Amino acid sequence: MYLSVRVDTEKCIGCKICITSCPEPNVFIFLPEQKLVEVNESRCKACGLCTTTCPKDALSIS
Amino acid sequence: MKTGMLKISPGFEEIMPPEYRELVDNGPYGKDYGIGDLGSYKELLEEHPLCAGCGLALSLRLTLASLPMPEDTVIVGSTGCSALAFPQVALHNIHSLFGNQNAVASGLKRALKLRFPEKEKDVVVIAGDGATADIGLDMVMQSWLRREKITTIMLDNEAYANTGGQESGMSMQGAVLNMAPTGKKFPKLSLPEIAHTCGCAYVAAASPAKPKQLAKVVRRAILVAREIGPTYVQLYSPCPTNYKFNPKETVSLIKQREKDGLYQSKEYISQEAQAFLESIEVKK
Repeated sequence: MYLSVRVDTEKCIGCKICITSCPEPNVFIFLPEQKLVEVNESRCKACGLCTTTCPKDALSIS
Repeated sequence: MKTGMLKISPGFEEIMPPEYRELVDNGPYGKDYGIGDLGSYKELLEEHPLCAGCGLALSLRLTLASLPMPEDTVIVGSTGCSALAFPQVALHNIHSLFGNQNAVASGLKRALKLRFPEKEKDVVVIAGDGATADIGLDMVMQSWLRREKITTIMLDNEAYANTGGQESGMSMQGAVLNMAPTGKKFPKLSLPEIAHTCGCAYVAAASPAKPKQLAKVVRRAILVAREIGPTYVQLYSPCPTNYKFNPKETVSLIKQREKDGLYQSKEYISQEAQAFLESIEVKK
């Protein structure tokens, strides 16, 4: 079964806390215009660290 | 490193791997990127084989993102979990014998000083707790006593993690691991104090739970090592595989440990280093 983190774009405020709490490089890409993060799903190992640090619960593993 | 040597020769763009092309187009070389710019450029680390939720990988990633001059940095690594990630790091790096990392770095720093007298080349040792505090403590302490201008960064996961989980000098007293079923009998070694006593100009202990603090201490340690003398940074990075906790709890575990008083961030700055840091940090 393949797991990855998903971003709820309505809840995300672009605070970038997930970017500095992810042990994998280049998973989160910050979009400065929309103030959102995007996920590169092929690089995510689904450890779930970002979901515990997100202040808005915008991230989930599925 | 000359940044021009990264460029792909005309005609070869298509056969180069996409990660390399991305690094050439959008890499951090020659740009003053900090930890706040993560997510907007191609990082120096590429997909690594470390476990999901690895605290060590997180520390390593944040350390690489906060290097002041990545193109003029040489990393010396040693055997351990961190060594598994070094083939994926887009910097000059050397793998040394287990425990020899600071001896190799001393020679390297002196040779680089002779070869490039007009240029600053940072030599940064990134090794695990086994290589720094147990097997290589002799070489590490001798390099501090000789006042070699190198930065030593220890990624402290409190175990020999990639050989099945033996206790190390940095494990907590009573820690039960796969290969230490009766629990550790003696307390954790306090290496920041040893480093301070051995004459390190800048000593700090931090953790990836506070990324900005981590970036600040790594940057300060490298800048002080350029001018004044040896520096030491200890980064607490828990191991979910050997300490048997959920990978998503790595950061909350550090915060819990901090609350319980079992881990604390420290900073020892010598007077000379303090004066130097004040002179450069005002300029910013």
